[in-house]
Amino acid sequence: MKFTGTERYYLTPELGEIVNISIAMEKPLLLMGEAGTGKTQLAFEISRALGFSMEEARCKSTFKGEELCYVYDTVLRLNDSRFGGGETGRDVNNIWDYLRFGPIGRAFLAEDRRVLLLDEIDKTDSDTQDNLLDVLEDGSFIIREINHKVEARCKPVIIITSNAKRELSDPFLRRCFCHFIPFPGQEEISLIVRLHFPEIPDVMLDACLTTFYQLREKGFEKPPATAELLDWIGALQSAGDNDPGDGKNVRHIGTLLKRSQDLLKFKGMDKPSRF
Amino acid sequence: MLSFINQLRQAEIPISLRHVLEFYQALNKGLAPDLDRLFLLARLVFIKRVEHYDAFERVFAAFFLGQKPPGTALDWEDALAGKPFEDWLREQVASGAMTPEEIRSFSPEELLKRFWETVLAQKGKHRGGNTWVGTHGRSPFGHSGKAGGGVRVHGQSLYGTAQKVIGQRNYVSYDERSALAQENLRQTLASLRNLQFAGPETELDIDATIERTAKNGGEIELVFTRELRDRLKVIVLLDNGGYSMMPFVKLVKTVFGKIREQFRELKYYYFHNCIYGTVFRDVYRSQPLPWDQLLMQGPETRLIIIGDANMASSELMAANGSLYFHTEDRRPGVEWLKELRAAFPASVWLNPLTKEWWPKESSTVMRIGEIFPMEELTLSGIKNAVAYLNLHGKRK
Repeated sequence: MKFTGTERYYLTPELGEIVNISIAMEKPLLLMGEAGTGKTQLAFEISRALGFSMEEARCKSTFKGEELCYVYDTVLRLNDSRFGGGETGRDVNNIWDYLRFGPIGRAFLAEDRRVLLLDEIDKTDSDTQDNLLDVLEDGSFIIREINHKVEARCKPVIIITSNAKRELSDPFLRRCFCHFIPFPGQEEISLIVRLHFPEIPDVMLDACLTTFYQLREKGFEKPPATAELLDWIGALQSAGDNDPGDGKNVRHIGTLLKRSQDLLKFKGMDKPSRF
Repeated sequence: MLSFINQLRQAEIPISLRHVLEFYQALNKGLAPDLDRLFLLARLVFIKRVEHYDAFERVFAAFFLGQKPPGTALDWEDALAGKPFEDWLREQVASGAMTPEEIRSFSPEELLKRFWETVLAQKGKHRGGNTWVGTHGRSPFGHSGKAGGGVRVHGQSLYGTAQKVIGQRNYVSYDERSALAQENLRQTLASLRNLQFAGPETELDIDATIERTAKNGGEIELVFTRELRDRLKVIVLLDNGGYSMMPFVKLVKTVFGKIREQFRELKYYYFHNCIYGTVFRDVYRSQPLPWDQLLMQGPETRLIIIGDANMASSELMAANGSLYFHTEDRRPGVEWLKELRAAFPASVWLNPLTKEWWPKESSTVMRIGEIFPMEELTLSGIKNAVAYLNLHGKRK
């Protein structure tokens, strides 16, 4: 069982090894790096390549961690106790009918091994992160209401991503395998583009990439990343343009630069006044 | 293998026993059949922060590939962070070769170049070429030789660090977390956290709901309660300009790094010397924040101002006192400060100068002290400040 990438996803040999080591060591793999370096995508590709199903948790700042394991639906139970479960088959006396499992719960209870993705973990509180890792490390959690311990049948492959908006705590980092994905270089990115646009002519690709990297170096607030590059090339192709344009005449600039400030800066190209 | 781990430790990479065990476990599983994979495995197990990648790569190269022992390259970074570069900057200013404004206008790369040109070339401190300049853009085992293999070293990282370090001196960027450990400081700041009911009423109060439902003769009545969340809002205003604050940078940074971990809603704004209707969102003071927007965040936010309050008295008292002629305000700094104080009942001024120096340093210190409660930037001073903030923050 080895992960080697898929036809849609370009995998550096380095990253491939890292994924395999983490799977072998049964450790959560924390992927850090700029937006658009394919962190989230990697989890999906692992699940596709290894044939595991996917449990996905997109983190929000309001998460406390528990809801990723289970949710106890009190309101529904109250409602049923008053009006009866009707034909739903729910039994008010049976709490299990009112427990719903979140992505972690489902991954633990599943008979098969799953890929568990915790996306953008840095959005959550550091308390939440620590709680989550306790759960993930032990492979078990407790349903407080009935003091029932849920244990993982097989430990899922855990992929965690972070945009490093906020620093993660040291204990958290200690428990993961951490990998920082650098932004792909010109060679790698042309491979990535080719995966998506196999017919793109070399000249065109080179011109696009040159402009792209130039723009990245201009120090925009949100520099264009892989996703923007792919959008842009897509836009150029569907418009039938054979030339990406350069200088201030880059075509479809809106697909590359998203923030109005960046766009203004691009059009003016003057430095912000410093004093 | 243990001596490799020891070398990593010497390179100031934090390594716990747990990781060592993990590493051996992985070796036993045969996860490192070749050097490439050993490299990846060791990095995965031991290195948790991208800051340490470079040091790790250096140690690895030294240990397994027999290259030059590590340390020299770290010196390079230290040198820039530390004295020589600082001295050089001072010297430039003192000798009039560059004005502070000029320095600020240079890009980090340009400064770096000048630094090399003047200090390294003139004074001949060029330590064997390879370690100083050589590290620029070149990494210990490069991209060559292992083409297609797993190992790829990012040659740019050192350069990036340098840029950061230079930027730090240049703009006195407090953004860097410095790793000074002062556990007691952390505790003090932790006392700033007070749990208060805030947030939306989204949590179902089950006990109250059942009680009300029973009283209601079984008709369900839902009672919601506010979520218990720590929603303490804190704004920190930092004086990050001018050389008068230079000596205190390290001190302020310690506090800074600590405060940052304590709150969720924490905003930093920057100013230079005195506040004239504008504070800035960024370290470079190029993105102004409108005064209204600052004041709007008013009563429920705690405001901490960190600055030495040391300026020419005209800066504080005279209309048009601002150092910057193009800030179009006609009111003296003292008026602005009073307005700020009125908007934030829970506010303190932390002064890195020792208390006994306040009257001596400049008359402005005491004047500002009349507007804002002023404490010195020490443990006890912070404790006092915290007590004050907690007291005045509770009033609604």
